[in-house]
Amino acid sequence: MARLPLEGIRVIDSGHVFAVPYAGGLMADLGAEVIKIEGPGRLDITRYSPFSGVHADNQPGTDPWNRTSNFNLINRGKKSLALDLSRAEGREVLKDLIRVSDVFMESFTPRVMRGWGLDYPNMKELKPDIIMVSNTGYGSGPGPYLQYPAQATTQEATHGLAHVTGYRGDLPSKAGQSYVDFLASWACLMAIALALRYRNRSGKGSWIDVGMYQLGCYTISEYILDWLVNNRLGERLGNRHPSYAPQGCYPCAGDDQWCVVSVRDDEEWAALCHLMGKPELTREVRFATNRDRITHHDEIDAIIAQWTRNLAKVEVMERLQGVGVPAGAVFDARDVNLDPHLSSRGFLETVRFPAERRMGKRVIMGRPWRLSKTPLAVQGPGPALGQHNREVLQGILGYSDGRYADLEQAGIIDTRPTQPRPLSHMEMDERVRQGRLAYYEPDFKERLGIQDEPAPAPSDSSPALIGNRHT
Amino acid sequence: MTTIPSALDDIRVLDVSQGIAGPLCAKLLGDFGADVIKVEPAGGECGRRMPPFFQDDPDPEKSLFFLLVNLNKRGITLNLEKPQGADIFKKLARLADVVVETFPPGYLESLGLDHASLERENPGLVMTSITPFGQSGPYSRYKGEELLAYAMSGIMSISGTTDREPLKHGGFQAQYEAGFNGTMATLFTLLLRDATGAGQHVDVSIQEVVTSTMVANQPFYSWAGGVQGRRRPVGTMFGNVMPCKDGYFVSQAGGGASWDDLAEFYGRQELKDERFADVDQRTVNGQALDAILIEAAKERTMAEMFKTASEQYRMLFGIVQTPADLAHCAQLEAREFYQNVEHPVIGKINVPFRLWNMTEIPARYRRPAPTLGQHNAEVYGRLLGYAEEEVTELREAGVI
Repeated sequence: MARLPLEGIRVIDSGHVFAVPYAGGLMADLGAEVIKIEGPGRLDITRYSPFSGVHADNQPGTDPWNRTSNFNLINRGKKSLALDLSRAEGREVLKDLIRVSDVFMESFTPRVMRGWGLDYPNMKELKPDIIMVSNTGYGSGPGPYLQYPAQATTQEATHGLAHVTGYRGDLPSKAGQSYVDFLASWACLMAIALALRYRNRSGKGSWIDVGMYQLGCYTISEYILDWLVNNRLGERLGNRHPSYAPQGCYPCAGDDQWCVVSVRDDEEWAALCHLMGKPELTREVRFATNRDRITHHDEIDAIIAQWTRNLAKVEVMERLQGVGVPAGAVFDARDVNLDPHLSSRGFLETVRFPAERRMGKRVIMGRPWRLSKTPLAVQGPGPALGQHNREVLQGILGYSDGRYADLEQAGIIDTRPTQPRPLSHMEMDERVRQGRLAYYEPDFKERLGIQDEPAPAPSDSSPALIGNRHT
Repeated sequence: MTTIPSALDDIRVLDVSQGIAGPLCAKLLGDFGADVIKVEPAGGECGRRMPPFFQDDPDPEKSLFFLLVNLNKRGITLNLEKPQGADIFKKLARLADVVVETFPPGYLESLGLDHASLERENPGLVMTSITPFGQSGPYSRYKGEELLAYAMSGIMSISGTTDREPLKHGGFQAQYEAGFNGTMATLFTLLLRDATGAGQHVDVSIQEVVTSTMVANQPFYSWAGGVQGRRRPVGTMFGNVMPCKDGYFVSQAGGGASWDDLAEFYGRQELKDERFADVDQRTVNGQALDAILIEAAKERTMAEMFKTASEQYRMLFGIVQTPADLAHCAQLEAREFYQNVEHPVIGKINVPFRLWNMTEIPARYRRPAPTLGQHNAEVYGRLLGYAEEEVTELREAGVI
């Protein structure tokens, strides 16, 4: 088998939620041995909270903390060590592990790490060439916001994205889900790769201090520069382009079906007009140049919407792309899961859970890049809590049976949460009723080809879709 | 013992990419020590025509976007479409470790400059291609545009409100995201090359990059068949953007604060009612909740609320800052986010620069973005060894 980029690299991942754990999951794909540490009394909240997504088949089962979608996607291919770091004996185990690891990732507050004697200077005492990654809202260094609590959803406003996101002339708006977490994930990975290469060449480790706020600010740099130089504050453009017209999101046949179209020059404009069966528009002086089209954007939008309204969104996309006009159907999560392009590129992978997990097969996203000579793949499912306690403590650290039993006895390690969380469970149609979901498809497994059993014979009724729209 | 000054001081990058994502990818390699040579057509790459411009003057040396993503590079001009130009590119590729490109799939192959061809010149060469839909698959020949990346990743279907059309993120987020992924994938491939000696072709798809942020949505379908949509237009402002006296804020439950803390912060005891006790209750009674909070914030400023909520109540709290706020932000200053750059045409200007801090090998600024063909003499003369008259001939032949 081809050598993987991070083969032989051991990573301790003590992060929670999205940013650090997603970096760890991608490192597992790249061949690293990633050990995820959670406290038996302090689970990653993607195991139980509103950040958890949904239980497999919406069934909590007997081990709900092992069945959530977000946890299992993000933490694929890792080993799970459930270790109580709030107690000194637990931290001694962690220190032993640091001594034999290459990378340590955390998202505690700087105060916690110092209190544990696990800040970078102390970490270096344990392992001189350790690469330590700290991810926090505002960075671990100085600064007035250093101690401010932060989460991607509130930072989206503070780092400036909300100011430029929104319908034209309307309120600022939040954009993605936990957007800056992903920027942080990727920053951690870039910095780790640099630090590994530096370590390979120099023998020295380093401390990487990621602050999500400045990453978010960086992605609106052009607005900051426009302010600094031209005193312009930036505005919300909805779906329009700052320089080209027309560009927008147009309604298509069906409920809540849309397609985006972007026209950058006269040639694309002519192609659009001809395809819509309105060649006369190309001779219309009001639409003659890009500048004219910007001026009369509303009028053009109405003409395009008139045409798209009766066509399926994928048909609009295919026909416009066929004549060289950029157009894309607005995909929802279902469309993404079933997209032939993403499937053909191997972006969507099927992960099989061990039988005792009772989760069958699931489709998850892989990585957005491919290497021509090194096929990459998800290395395994997300781990059950504490699944690898013995493997890590005895296999890697060589602890004796006696010591392992003592730690287990003292509750320093565990395979079940010590503080059961209230279980939040809701039927799928109730989720739709409350607006938490747009719709759901009970036959998603058949559509994805991940049925547990051979598919039953099709029935006469077609209850394929339940919710507020029909395809 | 030799001193190693940076992570990439032994790496040379040819950046033939255009726009934002590719140039940003190459620029980040330059920030960490690589020698990046930007290769542009005679008229300059399209990034030079991207607003905003210095003093709104659309001069190819005055694009601020171009400046941002082309720091730390040398620049040459070269016409790849002339056979002589392609030959020169091959010579450069022999001296390089990485090529970054963003052409439509198949274009470089038509010039004999794809990875398979260049690999014959240099077996250790890593080529990173960043394109809207990747090198393979049914959409690979589709035209891309920023808006399409949001539409076809799924992120747009959950942005905006149910009574209106799906909504894109502001600015060019997909391009920044793709640039980061290009750098990351290049670095991991270089690590592998260090071990094996073999270069390879790295295929980055912008659609997949943006889709990768759908971690709470993609598996919701494959776990239980559920599909999220946009938020309802009423009763959903808490947790999203709400108005206050002088602007807008975002307030979230959680962090170090209890729900009672929120009630104290807003000075509204009725928030402690049973109808707001948990997430489910707050969702069902969203309209009442929004009305109470908007009333409570009516006479309060963003700055005061941000400080009080964060410092006194340990709440998760954000304020809608503008580019002006960010340009003068003490937090960013403390993190040395801005780099003062002296550009031959634009003059002195603060440019966003530092993405993260790290010991030993922090990002280092070395030079401004190159003017068009600024380093032709240096690269063609000193690096490739062409005589002055040869360079003149190439220029007259329209090759450089």
